[in-house]
Amino acid sequence: MNLLWRTVRIPMNTFCLHRTFAASALHLAPVQLPSRAESHLWYLVPDEVKSVSLLGQYSEILSPCENEYVACIRGEQLKKTALLARVLVRTTIARYQTDGYIDPRSLKFRKNIHGKPELEWDNDDSGSRPPVQFNISHTASLIACGVTSSSPIGVDIEKKDRKIQNNIISFARRYFTPNEVERLSSISDLNVQRQHFLKLWTLKEAYVKALGKGISALPFSTFTIKSRNFEKKELNGSGDSDPEITVESVDGQRSLLSNWQFTLLELAGTHFAAVCVARDGSMGGKNMFNFGLGYGKHFTGLKSILTVSDKCFTPKKLTVMKTIPFVGDESMSGTDAAIVCGF
Amino acid sequence: MASSTAGSSICMKFASCSLEHAQASGRTSRLRSVSLPTNKTFQSLRSSTGPHRLQVCCAAKPETVGKVCEIVKKQLALPDDSEVTGESKFAALGADSLDTVEIVMGLEEEFGISVEEESAQSILTVQDAADLIEKLIEKKATN
Repeated sequence: MNLLWRTVRIPMNTFCLHRTFAASALHLAPVQLPSRAESHLWYLVPDEVKSVSLLGQYSEILSPCENEYVACIRGEQLKKTALLARVLVRTTIARYQTDGYIDPRSLKFRKNIHGKPELEWDNDDSGSRPPVQFNISHTASLIACGVTSSSPIGVDIEKKDRKIQNNIISFARRYFTPNEVERLSSISDLNVQRQHFLKLWTLKEAYVKALGKGISALPFSTFTIKSRNFEKKELNGSGDSDPEITVESVDGQRSLLSNWQFTLLELAGTHFAAVCVARDGSMGGKNMFNFGLGYGKHFTGLKSILTVSDKCFTPKKLTVMKTIPFVGDESMSGTDAAIVCGF
Repeated sequence: MASSTAGSSICMKFASCSLEHAQASGRTSRLRSVSLPTNKTFQSLRSSTGPHRLQVCCAAKPETVGKVCEIVKKQLALPDDSEVTGESKFAALGADSLDTVEIVMGLEEEFGISVEEESAQSILTVQDAADLIEKLIEKKATN
């Protein structure tokens, strides 16, 4: 039986348990590479993957090293998440085929000097390698993988209801910048403060991951993430609907690092997700953001901000897809599962 | 790997030194952390009583490891009876980057030390954390 799955919209809560999946018959539906102005964000909900036979097939995609690592993990839920994270990366990347089918098992990975996973290619693979950049993040209940065609990308997710063990302001004083501490301290509602903390954490993590570093190589106290909208409101009492999140280095000049674009989402109703992407180098001025996502209450129906000159125009679009590898995908752009949130 | 032979007790520290082995040799800790280059020579020795005995140990105190385990279990909401030892890897216990930083902050407060973010990259196991704590405590004491 041909088990070639096309990318069709299937209800994600139905699952064909009676099918037996033979590894050789499993195929991945190809996906077009994101353009230079696009990023893709794939996510998977581990609780929706219940089939024991499918999980078994997933194990066969992993390298022996990866399987050993998964075996070392204590706890069934953590093991499953570790397995699914690696499966999501392999199958997602393999789908961006430019020159024939790519077996997800054939992909090789290495870590850069700071521990960021990267694709590794043998010299003879140059014909079939998908020219993608990727970054993954996961919690126990969600796994997300961001993909671009050439720009460095960093992704970080956190559960919205995550509790912080330490005192938030103490933590921020220790690890964040004075500007960020001030912003957090100004929030009187403790729950809102906690959520702002988590958003800030995911943005900072996404940034250092996009740079290919980690917190060790780029301590969080060396850069400030702020909301241009919030700053404007503070200054003159009026905020426009410019959702731009910016990063500044904390040095004498407080220089704006304008080559990084941030998107902050509420994902799947349960998580905050931050995506940081290097901007297209062809930009000459302010960027235009064309969000293919649903809107939270902070941004009232704004689809795009036109720039003065077309030559400066570099739209960046984030497409959000929910997936179960080998089973199907569902586009979440423009739904409640992918809402741009305020910061 | 750590070795001990009759008549002399030499404990060499590599990247993952087993606390159990140090305990099994009958020696409790002596906490100078010895960092070994790849040719595996040691950089400092301390001779104890008796001309034929060299004693070089490097693993952190069991109490320190125990305290780290406690803080880790609390941060990761693990049950008290869950198995967390010196060899436990943070990642394998389910700690993400925020957990790790929270744990380090908890350790800073518990032990009165300051851990630079740059050091965090080298903390992969509970033992790594305990060893670093001991090193920082000693450094603080000698300043």
